[in-house]
Amino acid sequence: MPRLTLTVNGRLWTGDVADDATLLDTLRDELQLTGTKYGCGEGQCGSCTVLVDARPVRACVTPAAAVAGPVVTIEGVAREGRLHPVQQAFVDEQAFQCGFCTPGMILGAIHLLAERRQPTDVEIRQALESHVCRCGTYPRIVAAVRRAAATLAREDHRG
Amino acid sequence: MADDLHGAYKRRFARDLEPERYEIVALLDDLTPDRRAFLRGLGGGLLLLVTVRAQDRELPVRIQVADDGSYRGFTGKVEMGQGARTLLTQAFAEELGVAIERVTLVMGDTELCPDDGGTWSSLTTPQTVPVIRAAAAAVRASRTGGAATVTPPARWRTLGRSVPQRDGVAIVTGSRTYPSDVKVPGMLEAVIVRSPYHRARLVSVETAAAEAMAGVRVVREGDLVAVLARDRVTARQAAARVAAVWQPEPLTPQDAWPAHFKATAQAAVAQPEARYPPLLRQGDVDAALAAASRTLSATYGLDPVAHVPLEPRAAVASWAEGRVTIRSGPQAPFLVRQEVARALDVPLTNVRVIAVDSGGAYGGKQRGECEVEAARLARLAGAPVRVAWSREEEFTVSYTRPAGLVEVTSGVDAEGRLTALRFINYNSGAAGLTPQYPIPHHHVAFHRAAAVVRQGSYRSLAAVANNFALESHMDEWAVLLGIDPIAFRLRHVRDQRLREVIERTASRFGWNQSPLRPGYGRGFSCNLEKGARLALCVEVETDGAEMRVLRMAATGDFGAALNPDALQNQMAGALVQGLGGALWEAVAFDEARQLTRRFGDYRVPRFGDVPALDVEIVDRRDVESVGAGESPITLPAPALAAALAAATGRRRRRLPLLELLTPPRAPQTPGW
Repeated sequence: MPRLTLTVNGRLWTGDVADDATLLDTLRDELQLTGTKYGCGEGQCGSCTVLVDARPVRACVTPAAAVAGPVVTIEGVAREGRLHPVQQAFVDEQAFQCGFCTPGMILGAIHLLAERRQPTDVEIRQALESHVCRCGTYPRIVAAVRRAAATLAREDHRG
Repeated sequence: MADDLHGAYKRRFARDLEPERYEIVALLDDLTPDRRAFLRGLGGGLLLLVTVRAQDRELPVRIQVADDGSYRGFTGKVEMGQGARTLLTQAFAEELGVAIERVTLVMGDTELCPDDGGTWSSLTTPQTVPVIRAAAAAVRASRTGGAATVTPPARWRTLGRSVPQRDGVAIVTGSRTYPSDVKVPGMLEAVIVRSPYHRARLVSVETAAAEAMAGVRVVREGDLVAVLARDRVTARQAAARVAAVWQPEPLTPQDAWPAHFKATAQAAVAQPEARYPPLLRQGDVDAALAAASRTLSATYGLDPVAHVPLEPRAAVASWAEGRVTIRSGPQAPFLVRQEVARALDVPLTNVRVIAVDSGGAYGGKQRGECEVEAARLARLAGAPVRVAWSREEEFTVSYTRPAGLVEVTSGVDAEGRLTALRFINYNSGAAGLTPQYPIPHHHVAFHRAAAVVRQGSYRSLAAVANNFALESHMDEWAVLLGIDPIAFRLRHVRDQRLREVIERTASRFGWNQSPLRPGYGRGFSCNLEKGARLALCVEVETDGAEMRVLRMAATGDFGAALNPDALQNQMAGALVQGLGGALWEAVAFDEARQLTRRFGDYRVPRFGDVPALDVEIVDRRDVESVGAGESPITLPAPALAAALAAATGRRRRRLPLLELLTPPRAPQTPGW
């Protein structure tokens, strides 16, 4: 069993990981970070999305041993007890029902807003197309990303 | 008259909903074992046990007052994304007369919570809310000396407001524990050896290669074979080394299901007191059809569909001293408790099911298959066991919404009014049979048939099939008679609230305000289902091969809106989910296997599929509230079928609609 070192949410983790363990297995079962969800196991639903090197990755189809860069999961998004503007926007818009897609959705949105500060609705939909919300809250999610973009723009302005 | 049907429905509803009396029962006497267990689990504070008489039976409500003045309310209902946790907390807080922050809810724990029914049929709003309110008002009265009456809507402080979901922050931070996140000390991960067939008998199994792996055990009880290990990766590896031989049970080919349903159908028997009466009759349909100015016959059909909750089922079972505790995400914890007790042959009191707020269900988590598996394996292992279904298991081990066939014949008089309706649903179910239009002579029935594959509950049950057939039929009549489809509906609607909902929707949408370009189509549907008045207008664009839904406007009147934003969220979500079932969703089988097994095999709505969506909730503070989680899902299929017919001139009478836009994979059987 290969020994693996990962940086997750800014902390180093070292452990033994089976060859065919996915990043999702490792996060959920070794690091106990269960905010990252198993939805399909084939990279189709987006529930397991985390950021690796600031890029969205489907943890359920990513071998843990192949991960080189720093990993950010939903547990590492809030700062000093304050919700990230994208998290806050999801709460403000009530952009969830069962909430199972929400962690992956938020990480997908954080990546989008890092790439494009003011995305159009079409760009938001395209960027999140690989994420499924089976409860069908898509219009609220688009509204939440738009709201978060506005918050970030205000922070930039002040910043 | 359908007015009579609605009248009967309303009367039944009114009777079911009237809380006749409530009383506070002194808890210290008469401690049944159930109540003793309850007290043990509670900790300190004052426990108030209130009995509300409603639905012709005594319904217990439990409220605990902590020493700091906060309250805990207990309910057997569960949270799966439909908003019951927030809504019922609102109901407790409103009538206890305290801020919502002072009330927490314990849901779906069979040891702590009263059995107030499963979470289905949108009953939480019309049945559970009134019971909880009555009980909480009685508790408030007992503490303040005031009157034990519920707060009128004009004085609501918590109900009627768009209270945000209680655990929104836990959801966005990933800290909320879902059923698949539950772990207990000493737990083993199970991977069950599944047959590739829909139904099969285990002939032989070779487990030596798996058992040779370090830390792996294989347990077997009858056809249940599972690999157990400390971690999931090892269990998965070991399960791949098990070689099993299965004897499949043959399935009727899917093309032949309609004929099979008709051949095995049993005529409906009147059961007027049933929640979904399977036979509604009035007048003389044969004579009315013979006397009709014109008649129209059509057959509608639908394939089975899957629920696809984003969270597949998971259960953790632990045994101690002959008692088993199961943590999972069931819709009906008390029924699952029964199922487990029966399957494991232990007394009911030795089974505790603790519901954990789950990642979606839509009717798909009503049975306890996963819980029974976990309980059996944990007993065999002598250790706590977690069974977490893969997506493939969620697709293939669970059940589908029934396929169905609906035969409709109707007639109009010289003025173009429906006078006769014969409407027979085969296999899909009796829910939503009652037409939203008064038709003087009608015979509306559900004929139970022999199911081919596992089938069961689904959001709004057969109301999707029945409204698809009825509203498609109405649209066909409008086209045949050359009348605007909404005008044709309004010609028949007698319910004033439904009429208003239709008119508001048409007005916001701009129905017929602009001419349609070639390749564009508009469609309409409405419903009066589970007390909700609903209407939907859609506009689509198609090139004959693909179809895009451009916009939707919908209105829902659910009586007094107890949480307007949550209602809007539920209605919009149901419309989006209904869009998938209307356009693409279908589960395919061959003559032994389910072919739809993975997420990539099954198209659910995504961002790009969702049109501009305008959803308005009509808040009627003077009217009893009904649920919104289910009924709006009955709107998209007929509206989209109508829009597609308007755009292409071709009528599709089978769901999913878009299957027929591309060349069919197999020959179509007449009858669909």
